[in-house]
Amino acid sequence: MRPSLDDPRVAIPAESTWYEPAPTPQTERQAEFLSLREGEMFVNMGPQHPSTHGVLRVIIKVNGEKVVDLDPVLGYLHRGVEKLCENADYHQAICYTDPLEYVSSLFCEAAPVAAFEKLMDVDVPRRAQYIRVLTMELNRIASHTLFQGWMALDLGGITPILWAFIERDEIVDMLAALTGQKLLYNYYRIGGVNGDLNHEFMSRLGTWMSRAAAQIDSNLALINENEIFVRRTRGLGVLDAKTALKMGVTGPNLRASGVPFDLRRDRPYLVYPELEFDVPTRDEGDSLARYLVRMDEIKQSIRIIDQVLHEMPDGPVMAKLPRLLRPRPGRAFGAVEGPRGVYGTYAISDGTDQPFRMRIHDPSFVHLQLVGPLTKGNLIADTMAVMASLDPVMGGVDK
Amino acid sequence: MAWNRLTPAGRVLAVLLPVLAIGGALTTALLVAFGGAIAATIGANLPIVRFLVASVVTFLISVPVAFLLIYMEMKIIALMNLRIGPDRIGPAGAVMSVVHGLKVLMKEDYTPPSVDVPVFTLAPVVVYLASFMTLLVIPFAPELTSMGFELGLLYFFAIGGLSVVGLMMAGWSSFNKYSLLGGIRAAAQAISYEIPLTLSVVGIVILTGTLSLPKIVAAQDGSFLDWFIFRQPLAAIIFFIAITAEANRTPFDNAEADQEIVAGFATEYSGMRFGFFFFAEYVNVFIVSALFSAVFLGGSNPPIHIDLNPQILIDLSALGIGLPLIAGIAPVLGTLLFAAPIWFASSRIKGWQALVAGFLIFGGVSTAAVGIWAFVMLPPVASLIWFLIKTFALVFTFVWMRGTLPRARIDQLMGFAWKWLLPASLLNIFATAFAVLIAGR
Repeated sequence: MRPSLDDPRVAIPAESTWYEPAPTPQTERQAEFLSLREGEMFVNMGPQHPSTHGVLRVIIKVNGEKVVDLDPVLGYLHRGVEKLCENADYHQAICYTDPLEYVSSLFCEAAPVAAFEKLMDVDVPRRAQYIRVLTMELNRIASHTLFQGWMALDLGGITPILWAFIERDEIVDMLAALTGQKLLYNYYRIGGVNGDLNHEFMSRLGTWMSRAAAQIDSNLALINENEIFVRRTRGLGVLDAKTALKMGVTGPNLRASGVPFDLRRDRPYLVYPELEFDVPTRDEGDSLARYLVRMDEIKQSIRIIDQVLHEMPDGPVMAKLPRLLRPRPGRAFGAVEGPRGVYGTYAISDGTDQPFRMRIHDPSFVHLQLVGPLTKGNLIADTMAVMASLDPVMGGVDK
Repeated sequence: MAWNRLTPAGRVLAVLLPVLAIGGALTTALLVAFGGAIAATIGANLPIVRFLVASVVTFLISVPVAFLLIYMEMKIIALMNLRIGPDRIGPAGAVMSVVHGLKVLMKEDYTPPSVDVPVFTLAPVVVYLASFMTLLVIPFAPELTSMGFELGLLYFFAIGGLSVVGLMMAGWSSFNKYSLLGGIRAAAQAISYEIPLTLSVVGIVILTGTLSLPKIVAAQDGSFLDWFIFRQPLAAIIFFIAITAEANRTPFDNAEADQEIVAGFATEYSGMRFGFFFFAEYVNVFIVSALFSAVFLGGSNPPIHIDLNPQILIDLSALGIGLPLIAGIAPVLGTLLFAAPIWFASSRIKGWQALVAGFLIFGGVSTAAVGIWAFVMLPPVASLIWFLIKTFALVFTFVWMRGTLPRARIDQLMGFAWKWLLPASLLNIFATAFAVLIAGR
C-alpha cells in the first residue's frame, strides 16, 4: 500500500524535531519574557489569526486565561517605503505612501504632500484646499465606520461590520468616482489635487449626505448601548493622560485620555481654521472611551463636510508649477491629523529632484507599543478588545 | 476496474452500491423465508426493538434537522446583516447546507502528526452521540415520543452533559494551545451552567411530581396560561440562559471564539470530523429549543383548545371500489380543472404548459387540503405542528441572538452563572416549595 500523508508515522521524521529550539535571549527584557514560571505557557497569535488586523504577530504569555506578558512581533509587511520614496522623484514618492494605511490612504499621502509643499513654498489654490478637506473628512468617516465594525467583530458581534461596510463602501465608491481608485487614491499632488470634483462624485455625495447622519446613528444604535459590549470595554486598558503623552500617543487615543489635542485646531493646516467643529474628548481613557471618541468624530466630520460643501469657492485646483521639481536644499516637516493620530513626514532635500531622506511617522506604530502595557493582567479576550480599540493598521506599522 | 483512478467518494460508492444491493436482496430473502419467526422474536423483545428503532430514527432525523438549522442560520443572519445569503443552490439556496454537508464529506480528513490519534478520532463521535441521543426523550407529540420513560429529564441532563467530555477530548488530544484553551473553556462553562440548568427545573418537578417529559407536557394541558413559562417565569429565564450556554451559542460561545482562539476545540479538525462538531452544534440548538418548548411552552399543547367537534372523518373502507376510482380519477379531473382557466386565459400558453401548471396547482391544493384535514382530524399531527412551531420560534431566537449580540467574556460568564443564576434558581426552588406547602399542588 502506498504510504498516506495522513499517517502520523510517515509524517514525523523524529519526535524531538517538532519543537522549535528556544531562542537565545539577546536582551534582559527578552530573557525575562522567555522565562516561564509554573503554570504559564506561550500562545502564539498571528501572523495569520482572525483578529490581528493584518499580519501582526503577538506572542502572549498566559497563565490559564490571564495574560501575564505580551510581545508584538512586527515586520511581516515591511516594504521599505521610505527607501522607495528616496529613489523616486517628488511626484512619484507620493504614490508609495498611499498603501501605508490602506484604510485611510488619503492621510498617508496628505502628509508627504504637505512636507513637499513646505519644502518648495507652494501656494495651494483655495478650491484645492477645500477639496482636500472634503476628501480627507470622507476618508476619516470611512475609516471610523470600519473601526466600529472591527471593534464589534473582535468582541464577537458579527452584524455591525456588515452594516458599517455599507457606509464605507458608499464613501469608497464615491471617492473612486473622483480619483479613479477605490483604495489607494493617489489623488493629492504637490500644489493641488488631481482633477476637479466631477458630477458623479457630487451626486453620490449629495445622496449619501442626506441620509448619512441618520444611518450612522442607526449603526451606532446596534452596539453602543449593548450591555455586553459596554461591560467588556468599560474600564479595560485604561491609559492615563501622562503615560499617553510620554509614549507619544496622538489622535483619538490621546483625546480619549482627556488631552484635547487635535492638529486641525492646534496646528491648523489647509482651511481648517475657517471651519467650525468640536474636538470630542473623554476622560476615562479606557477602550469604551476610545471607541466613543471615534464615533463622536464621525459626527464632527459630517459637520465639516456640510460646511465645506456650502463654502467651496470656484477656481483652479492646481497651482502652476514646473514639470521637474527641484527644491532648494533644506528640510521640512508636514503633518496631518488622521483617523488614528498624527501622520507626519519629514523630508530633506539636497537640491536634486529626489528627496534625500524621507522619514514617515505613523501613529499605528506608536499605538501598537501600548498593547503590551494595557493588556497585562487582563484575559486573552481583552487583548483583542484593547487591540481593536487602539485601531492599528499593520501597513503603517511595518512601512 | 480502474480502482486507482477513482476519487475517494467514487471508491466509497463502488463498495457501497454492491453491498447495498446484495444486502437488500438478502434481507428480502430472509424476510420471505423467516418472516414469521422474526415477527415472533420482535414481539417477544418489544422494548429492545423499540429502543433500536427509536435510535435509528432519531439518528436519521438529526441530520436533516441539522441541515435545516444551518440553512435557517445562514439565511436569517444574512437578512440581519443586510446580505442576501445563499441563493444559488436550490430555490433560495435551500440545498446549500446539504452541499456543505457533502463538501465536508469529500474533504481531506487530515490527522495532524503528534495528536493523540484514538482520542482525537473518538471526540467528534462522542459529541455527536451525546447530542443525538438526547433527541430520544423529546416528546414531539403524546404519541410521537421515541422513549417516553420516567426520568426523561434526568436522562436528558445526564447525556447532554456528556458532550463536554467530547469537547475536552478534542481540546486535549489536538496538541494545540487554542484547542486546549477551547476545551477547558467548554468544560468550565458547561459545568457552571449545568447547575442552574438542572436546578431551574426542580420547581416544575415539584409542581408536577414527575421527571417524565410527556407527563410534564400533559401537566400543561389547557389554555396557554397553564404553561410553565407563566407559572415559573424565573425558572424560564434561568433555563433559557443556561441552555444558551449549554449549546455554546452566542453570547456564550467562548469555547469556539474565533476572534480569540481561532476555532477553539475544533481548530485541528478537518473534513467530516469537523462536520460532526458542526452538526452536533446545530442538533444541540434544536434539542435545547425542543426541551424549552416542552418544559415551558406547553410542548405539543395548542395555546387555546378550540373544540371544533369535527365530523368530517372519512371512513375509507366504506368507499369500497370507489376508493381506487377516486384515487385514479381525482388527480386527472383536478389537473384538468385547474389547467382549463390557464389555457383559456392566454392563447400564448401551450396546452402542455397549462397541464403542467394545473397539475402543480392541484398538487399544492390537495396537499394543503390533506394537511388541514390532518391538522384538524388527527391529534398527533396537530400536536407535532404546534410543537415544531414553538421549537422553531426558539431556534429563530437563538439565531437572532447570534446576529445581534457580542460575546461575553469568560470571567463575566462564570461570574454570572455562580453569582446570579445559581442563587436565583435556589430562590425559585424555595419559593415553589413554599407555595406548594401552603396551597398544595
